[in-house]
This record gives sequence, structure tokens and C-alpha cells, in this order.
Amino acid sequence: MKSLLYRFFASATHAHSVSMVGLACVALALFLFSCSSIPPAHRATPPGDEGGLSPRYSIVCIIHGDGGYLYHDAHGDAHRADEVTLAKAKTVAERNTQAEMFIFHERRRRHLLLFFPLRDGTFYYYRHGRLLAEESYWRDQGQLRFDPEMELYNRFRAEGSPEMVRLFLYFGHEIPEFGGAGYDASYKNRTFTVGDLADGLKRITRDSTKVDLVVLSTCFSGTPRTIAALAPYARYVIASPDNLHLSYFDLRPFEQLDIGLREGDVSGFANTFAHHAFDRLTEDIQTAVTVVVYDVDRVREFLDSVDSIYDHALTTLKGKTPGSIERCDCAEDPAYALPGMSEGIAVLYRPPRFGRLKHKESHSGWECWRLLK
Amino acid sequence: MVKRTALRIVIMMCVLVYAGIAVGQDNVQKYFNDAACKVKATNDPSQKREILNNKFQDMSKALGMVRSSPLVSKTDRAGIDRFKAALQEKHDELAGTNGYARVSDDQLNAFSDYVVQDMEQADKTITMSVVTALLIVIIIILVT
Repeated sequence: MKSLLYRFFASATHAHSVSMVGLACVALALFLFSCSSIPPAHRATPPGDEGGLSPRYSIVCIIHGDGGYLYHDAHGDAHRADEVTLAKAKTVAERNTQAEMFIFHERRRRHLLLFFPLRDGTFYYYRHGRLLAEESYWRDQGQLRFDPEMELYNRFRAEGSPEMVRLFLYFGHEIPEFGGAGYDASYKNRTFTVGDLADGLKRITRDSTKVDLVVLSTCFSGTPRTIAALAPYARYVIASPDNLHLSYFDLRPFEQLDIGLREGDVSGFANTFAHHAFDRLTEDIQTAVTVVVYDVDRVREFLDSVDSIYDHALTTLKGKTPGSIERCDCAEDPAYALPGMSEGIAVLYRPPRFGRLKHKESHSGWECWRLLK
Repeated sequence: MVKRTALRIVIMMCVLVYAGIAVGQDNVQKYFNDAACKVKATNDPSQKREILNNKFQDMSKALGMVRSSPLVSKTDRAGIDRFKAALQEKHDELAGTNGYARVSDDQLNAFSDYVVQDMEQADKTITMSVVTALLIVIIIILVT
């Protein structure tokens, strides 16, 4: 290698050599810059110095953007789901003057001049409606999936009062129940499952207080396994057991938490949010729309009764090829159609306008797996 | 001179591969969005049907050609099969065959949106590698 480089430089003219050395210096500087452990940070005010009372609401929002997130609206205009959601999340953060909000944007890994990797996560921290910090970070640092995010969360989080309402929002593709490799387009071997998500929630709720509301804006998140995994750390979960279009659940009700959560009524707010999201989706979307609110304490009995059945089904399906299994409404499988199936859930459902399921009148609110015949 | 040319070729290839990743993955979706825009731009139902029909046929043909390519992995073949089956379902519904009621004339705009939106769900059912997605795009350009 050395001799090759020597011959390469020796054959060049003096002027050429100077320009090559200059180029090498720039490349080295870029490499060092891209590998630097010092995060490029922007901070308007150090946390705690901006005055005012402790926030009444704490919102953690994770937006996955490391994959195919292109969608088109009814006018044919193209959008990136993660970019659109980021803009909406920032609006939520700016309009809630009594909240702190953590926004993590997980982006596709990019390279400067094709070779120098750039940070693939961006973190925003708002308190009382003001942006206090903005940092880029590496997403692949640490043993656990959310290690980099938790480090930032712990660094910035406000000491909350016992009455603080905690909200967690996740936007992305379907979170796998097993396997999980390939979820990130930039990290083919890295895995992500509902277990990792539950672990992230566990670390947020380290003082044993549950997150009041978890919103999973993904496909197929209303499954017995997913809800059971989050149950120890969440009071209410809003999810779509069926497909969900990439325009996601609309965040507008979150823009005025002082009004929406005035009485501290999380259940009422969850239902308002679900209805609003459902109405917005059914305006333009022709595919199925299913939004479900899960009262976690009240669905426990059903989850316990189907846990072993679902576990057995997952074990059976793990060895199958993706083309031989499919999702289905749990109600279509007699093993799950138990009397307590509807307990503790509020289901909003509209069938797809076209396709084989356009006459399906209802959805149980729970999604399962089955083998294709 | 030779070295400079070689360097340029390497850089060009890197740029093309980089651009190809984005182009391949997005263009399959853009292909159907383009169809939906054309469907909505015309008032004639028979023209709307013809647009959708041609798009389904061309895509199906491209998928068939890509599937038989030695560059395509076994996993991708399974993905192509699923994609093709989903496409056939839509084609059947448009024509009113295979147990489907024919999509009525006044629902063709909504149906074209349905085709686009069905591929834009937040799941991962239709996943293909960059190579396969690129091949589909290239063949689509060639057959249309």
C-alpha cells in the first residue's frame, strides 16, 4: 500500500502534489470531525436556568426515519413520514408552555463525500415551549437499543412532581415481535423488537411510576404480545392493530395539553385523541383504518388468558417464511375469541374501501398471526 | 491521465450506487402515484381504466422479468411473489374477475388512491433489496 502511494505521488507533478496534499488534509479533517465524540450542540439556555415551575407534562417522542418512509397525499404530493412528523412534534413542543418534550429523530446514516459517516440521530429538548437543546448523536452506541436516547433523556429531564403527566410517542414501521433484524436500513444486523421498546419504557419509568399514555403510531401494534410487553410501564396505550398509513395518527390534540388534560383525565384525552386521529385518517385514506385505546389494567385478564396461546403461535411461526404467515383479526381464531376480549378497549374501525376485506364490519381490537392456507 | 480517469469513474460509481439506493426504493411507489395522478386528470372512465390496467400489466411484466434474474436472491423472490399477488388482486378488482365486483366508474379515482396507499402502510410486508428494486425500476422504464 505504501509503495503504491509512493508511486502515485511520485508520478504526479509538483502542482498536482500540492493539491493532493491539500485534499488529503481536508479529508483527514473531515474524518476527524465526523468521528469526534464531542456532539455538535446548540443550546439556548441551560436546563433549569430558564426559570418557571416544573413542567406539568413530560413527553418523549421517538421518530424512526431509517427506512422507507415515503408516502403521497391525495393530491399526489410526496412526503417523508418522519420529516412531517418531526415538524408536527416541534409544533407540539412549542405550543405546550407547561411541558418538557424530548424529540429523537432516528435518521438514515449518511456519509460526507461518500466516505465519512455522519451522526444519524438528532435530539431536540424543549421546555416551557422553548428549544433548550439540539444535538446530533450516534445511534449505534451502547449495548441496548435506546442507550444513546436514555443518556440524553437522563441528562436533560426535569425533576417532575408526582402529578406530572408522562406521555410517550413512537412513530415508525411495525415493531417486530420476534427477530427484528433489518428494521434499520442503515444497520442490517441490528435488531429491534417490542422487547426493546418495553425496555426503553422501563428505563423512563425507573421510579416505578407508569407512563400515563403510550401512542404507537405503527402498523400491527395492537397485538396481545405488544400490549402485554408494555403493560408493566403504561396506563393507556393507543395503537393500530391493523395496517396504518404513513400519514400516522394526527398529533393536533397534543398541541394544547392544558385544555386536553385539564382535569388530569388521561382516559378522556386518549379517547379524544383516538377519535381525532380516526376522523383525520378516514378523510383521505382508502385502506383500513383501526385505532384502539387500551386501558392496560382492564385488559390484563384477557392478556393473561391468551398469553400461552399467543406464545405457542409465535414459536410455531418463527421458523416459517414471511410468505406463509399473515396477520389476522384475533376474533377470527376461536382460541382468542374469549368473553373478556372486548373488556378495557375502545375500538374505532372502518374497513378498507376496496379489497377482500371491504365488507368486514368490525374489528376485535386485537391482531394475531395465522398460517396461510 | 489514466489515474485521473480511474478516480473519476470510482467517484461516479459511488454516486450512482448512492443515488440508486434512493431511486430504487422510492420509484416503485412513485410509479403508482403517477398512475393515480393521471387517473384523476381525466374524466373519461374508460381512459382511467386503461391507465390503471396498463400500469398493472407493465409492473407485473417487470416483476416477472426481475424474478427470473440470477441477481435476485431467494428472499427477494418471495417478496416479489407477494407483491405480484397483491398486484393481481387489484387487477382482478379493477376488472371484476376472480370473485371481485368490478370497481364502478365513479370509484376509479378512490381506487387509484387505494392502490398507492396500500403500498404506503407503516408495515414491512413488501421488502426488497436495493438491487431488486433498481432492476424493477430499470425494466419498468424499458417496457413502458
